[in-house]
Amino acid sequence: MNTWTRELARATAAEWVKLRSVRSTWWCLACMTVFLVLGALAIGGGTVTELVRDGQPGTLSASDPVTSAAVFAQFGLVALAMLTITPEYASGGIRTTLQATPVRGRVLAAKALVLAPVTFAAGVVAGGVATAAVHLVLSAEVFGGRVTAPFAEVVPDLLSMGVFFALVSVTTLGLGFATRSSAGTLTTAFMLLMGVPLLLVMTGTSIGFEASLRMPLFAGLAFMGSSDTPMGGAVPYPASQGLVWLLVWTVAATALGHAVLRRRDA
Amino acid sequence: MISLNGLRKRYGDRTVIDELSLDVRPGAVTGFLGPNGAGKSTTMRLILGLDRPTAGTALIGGLPYHRIRNPLRTVGALLDARALHPGRSGRAHLTALARSNGIPLRRVTEVLETVGLGKAARGRAGALSLGMSQRLGIAAALLGDPEVLMFDEPVNGLDPDGVRWVRDLMRSLADEGRTVFVSSHLMSEMQLTADHLVVIGRGRLIADAPLAEIIARGSLTAVVVRTPHADDLAVRLGAAGLRWERPGENELVVTGATVEHVGDLAHEAGIRLHELRPREASLEQAYQELTADSVEYGARRERV
Repeated sequence: MNTWTRELARATAAEWVKLRSVRSTWWCLACMTVFLVLGALAIGGGTVTELVRDGQPGTLSASDPVTSAAVFAQFGLVALAMLTITPEYASGGIRTTLQATPVRGRVLAAKALVLAPVTFAAGVVAGGVATAAVHLVLSAEVFGGRVTAPFAEVVPDLLSMGVFFALVSVTTLGLGFATRSSAGTLTTAFMLLMGVPLLLVMTGTSIGFEASLRMPLFAGLAFMGSSDTPMGGAVPYPASQGLVWLLVWTVAATALGHAVLRRRDA
Repeated sequence: MISLNGLRKRYGDRTVIDELSLDVRPGAVTGFLGPNGAGKSTTMRLILGLDRPTAGTALIGGLPYHRIRNPLRTVGALLDARALHPGRSGRAHLTALARSNGIPLRRVTEVLETVGLGKAARGRAGALSLGMSQRLGIAAALLGDPEVLMFDEPVNGLDPDGVRWVRDLMRSLADEGRTVFVSSHLMSEMQLTADHLVVIGRGRLIADAPLAEIIARGSLTAVVVRTPHADDLAVRLGAAGLRWERPGENELVVTGATVEHVGDLAHEAGIRLHELRPREASLEQAYQELTADSVEYGARRERV
């Protein structure tokens, strides 16, 4: 292992200690899981009821409403990601962090390297729990027995949801470094991930619609292959394109955060 | 060794540090003094690479801070004892720091014992008193067993025992050959702890000299003489170009001279002395004279 990798590994180990040693981390993960389960049950329940009422054929994969609920539950992880950086600016702890790791890009990289796997795993696990809950409740005879849990659909859904959560968390981290405050991070993250794309759709113009499709909300839903989205049906482009747009936003937010971190006094 | 060379820091059009050049040497406690807003904390942040200088350099052992590998093993600094996550335990805080610089985890236990914070380090750091936080901050500075130590107001919030403990700690760190750079407002404390002093005011260097020399510069430093022939001696002193005052019939207070000088003058003139002793100014008085012109946030003195 060369020096560069070793020092990054050390900084990452330190960030892992910091992440697991505050209670808010566990609260955020719990909140996200609850949002995801309740959201998935509500969305899945609605879809199944419609199928049965309209006498349509077909079944619903138990993980599909979970991916739709992910865009609401993501805010639990937005909070988690934000809390890895903005409290350091509020308390001045960022100075201690930079004393230990004075190469600034390395601090951002270390935090991202901890956040991404943790939020990916959280997405897969919470997604699994929510999928099981949807299957357990909605496969009942009352709902027409329309809900199934085919392995070949559930597994990719859970994995893509983990990736979506990881990318959203790293995006939020970038915004945290860029705004250096909790209020700023929450506002910009909410507007970027939910507010602006919905407003653009509500303008009813084709330009607004096209623009909103390229924002993380619909890009994420496309990537996860959700059939039930805030625009009605599925997002009209392939999953791979959704991933590309998600990556574009993640890279942009991270680059912005990095630029501010490098330029400004701590 | 810390070396500042032409260091300058400007925020907008306000110059906070101006052409600061000095060396902080190993094996001594160097006190860093100056009125509020003089730029002490800014200087320390510049040394640690937290703020970027407008001009000049701040080097530690010849390297800028960000070029030092595993810097906590070379430089330990306590800037603000409250600058940590209130929900994290003191032990976890130190563990994260140890991990970040490849410091063995047994050091965490060791430094917690050194500062006397064993059990309290398991609870939330936010629940610690200011004095306890100060001890935790000192533990963090000692963690990497560094050559260079910087403390910004380390005795803030400590009880008298704690103050003495910090004083002894600074001394022993310097005696081990380390560089100890410590700022404080408490002059009496500095007088007891420091070997060397750096005084700044409005971002400029006012003094950089051994403690004894700075005290000797104070106008209250003088030689007190008691003699039955005060008139004769006063004439002699005047002829030698020395300034004196005569607080009593048989007493003279001579400024700007050593005891030896005054004693020799009296001896040459055959003047009998009943007392000859130096009167030392306190650091506080010497400091106030040095910084009288550069107090930024001083209370305005009403003219009576």
